[in-house]
Amino acid sequence: MEYGTIEREIYIDAAPEVVFDVVSTPEHLAQWWPDTARYEPVPGSVGEITFGDGDAGKVVPFTVVDAVPPRTFSFRWAHPADQPATDSNSLLVTFDLRPSGAGTLLAFRETGFREQGWEIAVLEQQYRDHVTGWDHFLPRLAPYVATLQVRP
Amino acid sequence: MTSPVAVDDELWSAIGDPTRRRMLDLLLADGGGTASSLGRQLPVTRQAVAKHLGVLDRVGLVRATAAGRERRYRVDDAQLAVAVAQLTSVGTAWDARLQRIKRIAEAIQHGTTNTEE
Repeated sequence: MEYGTIEREIYIDAAPEVVFDVVSTPEHLAQWWPDTARYEPVPGSVGEITFGDGDAGKVVPFTVVDAVPPRTFSFRWAHPADQPATDSNSLLVTFDLRPSGAGTLLAFRETGFREQGWEIAVLEQQYRDHVTGWDHFLPRLAPYVATLQVRP
Repeated sequence: MTSPVAVDDELWSAIGDPTRRRMLDLLLADGGGTASSLGRQLPVTRQAVAKHLGVLDRVGLVRATAAGRERRYRVDDAQLAVAVAQLTSVGTAWDARLQRIKRIAEAIQHGTTNTEE
């Protein structure tokens, strides 16, 4: 088993409080990632996210690790449904926010075993539209996008 | 924690080429193949195919065995799994998600209404 990490940092022209809501609440999560999300954005909350619709959908466990508004939000996902999330059976995603000018620097990190990542890759490839397809997401983002000065 | 960067870059460039991805697809679909058999199915010369196979072989995405006067190639499933998981799915998927987070947060900040709530 090989341990791996992905790290990204992006600037967002919005206050940390706003960004924190977008990365942490299930309502917003379902707008940028899965089709549905069910959990409480508080530490220890165990819930699930789903990809795809109805019977064909996949249900993926989701456990909130830390939530300190508007500074940090982290969760574990993809652990077996009948097991609590641990560092060896799940992927850990951490969002760290810090103010920068009028906006926010959002640091993203996902750590976990690559073999776990492959299982996820297989799952997500079944729903490739959800992962890479702007065609899928644009309709649901339209209420947002239409009001933006869109810069691709 | 992570693999050496050089290895990641080589894997990325190996699988980032559309012709090589098509070759991997054909090798997976056919259970293997030679430079000649791939050349017949691709709009590139046999020499180009051989060169691409060399790149794939060097990063461990294919394994060669002798087959008469040619070498027969098969996809290394384990290495392909590592490559796809590491390079295709995970990184680009999160890049797309982060861009969506940015757009949503900025839309809210700039006074628009979240119509889905």
